[in-house]
Amino acid sequence: MELSRRALIALAGAGAVGTALSAGRLVGADIPGRGSDALTVAILGTAQDAAARADLVAAFNKVHPDIRVRIMPVQGQDWSNFFAKILTLVAAGTPPDVVVVATEGAQLFADRLAEPLDAYVRRDAAVLREYFDDVHPSLIEAFMYQGSLFQLPIDFNAANLYYNASALRKANLDRPADDWTTDDFLSVARAMGRSNPGAFRPFFWTNRLWGGVVPWLYINDTSFLTERKASGGEWFWSRFYPHETGRGGGYEWTEPNAEDPKVAETFEFLRAMVAEGIGSSPAQGGGGELVARFAQGQIGLTPAGGFWVEGLSEGGMSQESYDVSFFPKWKTQRHQFGAAGYAIMRTSQRKDAAWEWVKFCVSREGMKFAFPKPSTTPVRRSMLTDAFYAGKGPKHWRVFYDTLDRFPTTGPIPAPPQQAAVESALIKNVVGAVTGSAANVKTQMSILNRDLALALRRNS
Amino acid sequence: MTATGTTPTRARGATASSAATRGGSRAPALMTWGFLAPTLIGLGLFTFVPIVGSLLLAFFRWDIITAPEFVGLANFVDLVADPMVRVSFLNTFGFVIVTVTLQLGIALVLALGVQSAMPTWLRTILRSAYFFPLILSAASVSLVMAYLFNGDFGLINQVLTTLGLPAVGWLTSGFPAAAVTVLVVYVWQNFGFTFLLFVGGLAAVPKEVYEACSIDGATGWRKFRMITLPLLSPTILVASVMAVISALQIFDQPYVLTRGGPGDSTRTAVMVIFESAFQQLQFGRASAIGIVLTLIIVAVTAVQFRLSRRFVFYG
Repeated sequence: MELSRRALIALAGAGAVGTALSAGRLVGADIPGRGSDALTVAILGTAQDAAARADLVAAFNKVHPDIRVRIMPVQGQDWSNFFAKILTLVAAGTPPDVVVVATEGAQLFADRLAEPLDAYVRRDAAVLREYFDDVHPSLIEAFMYQGSLFQLPIDFNAANLYYNASALRKANLDRPADDWTTDDFLSVARAMGRSNPGAFRPFFWTNRLWGGVVPWLYINDTSFLTERKASGGEWFWSRFYPHETGRGGGYEWTEPNAEDPKVAETFEFLRAMVAEGIGSSPAQGGGGELVARFAQGQIGLTPAGGFWVEGLSEGGMSQESYDVSFFPKWKTQRHQFGAAGYAIMRTSQRKDAAWEWVKFCVSREGMKFAFPKPSTTPVRRSMLTDAFYAGKGPKHWRVFYDTLDRFPTTGPIPAPPQQAAVESALIKNVVGAVTGSAANVKTQMSILNRDLALALRRNS
Repeated sequence: MTATGTTPTRARGATASSAATRGGSRAPALMTWGFLAPTLIGLGLFTFVPIVGSLLLAFFRWDIITAPEFVGLANFVDLVADPMVRVSFLNTFGFVIVTVTLQLGIALVLALGVQSAMPTWLRTILRSAYFFPLILSAASVSLVMAYLFNGDFGLINQVLTTLGLPAVGWLTSGFPAAAVTVLVVYVWQNFGFTFLLFVGGLAAVPKEVYEACSIDGATGWRKFRMITLPLLSPTILVASVMAVISALQIFDQPYVLTRGGPGDSTRTAVMVIFESAFQQLQFGRASAIGIVLTLIIVAVTAVQFRLSRRFVFYG
């Protein structure tokens, strides 16, 4: 085919015009909200989750009509995946102003991305006092890093034990006592297993940082990382929690601790449960499938928090068919929790507006809009009422907050700034330790210790 | 004079002619480049630039947040010292050997099977059935398989226990259970492509050769060894090269089924690249592993082509 010069020029011109017309698309300028002066708030979730916050945004805009807010849903299979996507936004030069960050990423953000809130908290101390009066100090301490406060928590979930009430009744057992022990736990699990044959697991657990091996390590008074508290933070504690003792400037996890004999003892406890058939081999991934299994009555006991209530209700579980209890006591009854709150990005050009958003979201009004249903545990104890759990919650829903009050050493997920690498090192060694022989546990702990040391060093 | 008179004329003529030729060749050349331009620009922006960027990145420490820091060969030295990287490469080589052998073997047997005498409708159904898994997304297949192989509630273990056999920790038991499960899922999903290549290769073998062979008194096995295999050898070479390259990049199945566990028993090289980059934000390290893996793929492919001189029969 012959192409004349004129035709070629015409084609080139058409191409140039087409490119010019689609320039907005090519550079992504037509993406909703991009380039606007709206305050961008990134959340872990779908477009539906973003839409569900419309009431919260509307309520905020009533107070601050001058601050436009755009909720940016970012989907991720877990928090690590979500954080990686936020970092990609940072690398692309389009970071959000505010990000919902869970305990898993609190120190990563505090170390590298988030703006300390100290000055804002001092400035608005009078307004915030009511919030702090309503929130357990352990939840606040989880978001302190090297003496500064980086987030105000909005919700949390302690690793309690959910149990299938029908399976318990079949085994002729009553609800476990609040101070039940690991021996009691084993007796209950064995009895459940005997009286519920077929595809039924008395204890089912997932292999992850929250609700995996860590709650067992905590009740055995140990952890897979050494836990220390940073100095500092007096400015905060003396002002808002003057009667609290033993609080510091946040947690520090800098060394592996997997070769502590108590860690091996804990893994051996879990290994024996798996070998006996009481416990499952820890499943990979999150809890979507777990909710379905529990609702179908295939699981007797499993670690979960207040975030399960709405899901179980939607899964067709009645209030009477399940309940929640404390984790059993071993050397201690220290529980594990995870929490989440909004972090302001250091790169944000709208920090003052971002702070107003953070402040509104922890206000009583803001939290009512944020948590209309029991899909998580709000950090404000005053919000946990019979009305909140009416028709859905387990009978002993008070366990959720009592975990913090009754066991004040209850602590957050061990999540240093190198959390992703640390979690990978933990997860990959858990299955090997709990599905092998008893003789293998100690060797596996040495490997875990080595992998943790590498993870902490390589990412420091 | 004549000479003097004709020479300029000829020269002018030659100049005009070559100008015409140049003028005539410029438009098609421009048109060629015009048509090639979108592809070249796309390849340049989205393939060559990232390759060069990745090559450079391997010599830096970069976590997205802070500025890249030049570390020389430290990322490569770190790979050698890292036991997880060593294990992941060993796993990958093991996967390649087993999956390629199984893939070629199963595909060849099934291709010979569908070439044998059978009703056309049955042949069509079998061909489609063997090829079907390949068109599914590897992640989706792996998710379904994870349900089937679930140690506590999976269908396979339920069948086993119903038959009075012990349940197996398909995804959670140490070597070799988890690795075997990953291999089975991978081979099941991927042998269809090799099968399709073999079906095409077998169809290209001239029937006359078989007929001549039969007249000479050759039987089934001898026909296969002396006729089918040599004439199919170019296809076998292509299939094996593609299978090896694909298996060296195995990711979806072990990532979804086992996340590389138990321990590192199913962790592969590409998984470590993904984890290093997108979970641990060590983009320099991930690039270094990527470069090593690329070099291995190039070397293995070169070896395959070199060895092919001995056994491939081009007719």
